[in-house]
Amino acid sequence: MENKIPSYLLNTEEINIHSFQRNKLPFIDRTIHNSAKAIKSIYTQAENASKKNIINEINPKIKFISLLYIAIVISLANNIFSQFLLSCFILLIIISSNLNILNIYKKILFIAFIFGLLVTLPASLNVITPGKIILNIFSFSESTKFWIYHVPENIGITMEGLGVVALFFLRVLNSVSFALLIVFTTSFPAFIKSFKIIGIPDTFLMIISLAYKFIFILSKTIEETYMSLKSRLFGNVKNKNIRRIITGRIHFIYRKSNLTYEQTYQAMLSRGYMGKIKLISEKKLSTTDYIALSIAVTFGIFIIIIG
Amino acid sequence: MENIIELQNISYSYFNKIAALKNINLKINRGEMFAVIGQNGSGKSTLLHIINGLIQAESGKYLFKGKEVSDKSLKDKNFSLEFRKSMSFIFQNPEIQLFCPTVMDELLFAPLQLEISIEEAKERVEKTLEYLGITELKDRPVYMLSGGEKKKVAIASSLTINPEIILIDEPLAGLDPKTQTFFIELILELNKAGKTIIFTTHHLDLIDHLQPTVAVLSEEHTIQKIGTAAEILTDEEFLISVNLIHEHIHRHGEEVHKHYHSHYVFHKH
Repeated sequence: MENKIPSYLLNTEEINIHSFQRNKLPFIDRTIHNSAKAIKSIYTQAENASKKNIINEINPKIKFISLLYIAIVISLANNIFSQFLLSCFILLIIISSNLNILNIYKKILFIAFIFGLLVTLPASLNVITPGKIILNIFSFSESTKFWIYHVPENIGITMEGLGVVALFFLRVLNSVSFALLIVFTTSFPAFIKSFKIIGIPDTFLMIISLAYKFIFILSKTIEETYMSLKSRLFGNVKNKNIRRIITGRIHFIYRKSNLTYEQTYQAMLSRGYMGKIKLISEKKLSTTDYIALSIAVTFGIFIIIIG
Repeated sequence: MENIIELQNISYSYFNKIAALKNINLKINRGEMFAVIGQNGSGKSTLLHIINGLIQAESGKYLFKGKEVSDKSLKDKNFSLEFRKSMSFIFQNPEIQLFCPTVMDELLFAPLQLEISIEEAKERVEKTLEYLGITELKDRPVYMLSGGEKKKVAIASSLTINPEIILIDEPLAGLDPKTQTFFIELILELNKAGKTIIFTTHHLDLIDHLQPTVAVLSEEHTIQKIGTAAEILTDEEFLISVNLIHEHIHRHGEEVHKHYHSHYVFHKH
């Protein structure tokens, strides 16, 4: 048998590792890690939403209406007590939905801390919210006037200011926790379809669904591309080459997503797409849905009355 | 038998540079099982895309039930509706074919676009899911399915319009042996039920299983021969000339053999 194998393949080369070199390719690991995270979050969301429990089984339309309604209630409730009651109400639903409480509250508290606490913290000072100082932070020799602003002699945290911050923080906390509760307990496609009740056209809903699907496909493509890159890149790679590789990969992924889009469009054409998409939402409202809606509405009215 | 598809001197090239098909002449009858075979890059998939009206030939004429299929005719709503209702396409890559949020939406998509009533569409979906044994996947998001499940959903989604003609690009690509057998049996059953099946492949064993009429595309993107499965499969010299069988080396103990091999039909020592 004639052997056509190139001669270099017949030799086993010894690999000498001369010295430790810092890995110049951390972007590969980071990209793989982030795309894997994106895939995982989509899986986790779908898995949570498919679990059998009373909250998951509520019709997405009802959840969507409740989300809008509770958002209005949150903005109308003007005292800390009513907001606190809302927080307890949402916590109770989260507990009954069998979600990983620690996990979900980590996300909620992080967002609420950034957008509800840090952003509004200056409002606790007497410069912004006048009132009785409970914690003095800084003292000037005398109060001064600067343009339209009045800078008092003592700057500190006021009781009223704390109230404003607490109210805002609870509002953000409640909004985020209710929104995440809905997201984690509802199948994404079904939730998107529920937008129909506020008149969003089917074509637009289809575009959102397609975009969601492409995030998944693209994340997988990116993960596979960078895995193969990782398997072939090692040792002392020059920075210039790294930049070239990244540019090349970005271009490749762009071309690939473009091709996917074209092929999907052909598949849509093949199955009768003629410029206007028709979708149906097949689930009808059940007794549980009506009970869930009544509870949300009654509780909301109660909060508005006391708030 | 009535001639349902006719291609007259069809040519197509990508970017006006890379030839994909040259002077293709074909006639496919109603209820026929028809295979287009050829090596990779010979233009098989392009041919199916043209038959499905997804791309238009650069020259030549494509007649569907005697009416010309062109950009202009496909803009006519009535013709387009009739054409799309008559034909469905199972793509090689189900990942691309499946674009709806859930399996149920996927199966309902074509009937709803093609003006089949909601009740009728739902009934068809239920029956199709049951027929293919995938009822439990009904509410699952498409991206959560395995490769075999995706293929089954792709098949189901193309059946719900009850097409006269089913186009299948590389039926066995990427499937495990069990799903391959399932798919082969399904194709036979659908053909027996009167559906016209047009598929592409480079697996000669599939031709042997299904015994279709075969058109062979060459490396030059032309049709080299049209004949029955037996006529094509027994013409060893011809199959070598179009690169569908090749010299193959393998071992029997210590002895090394070299012979022509097509993975199934020929295995002569």
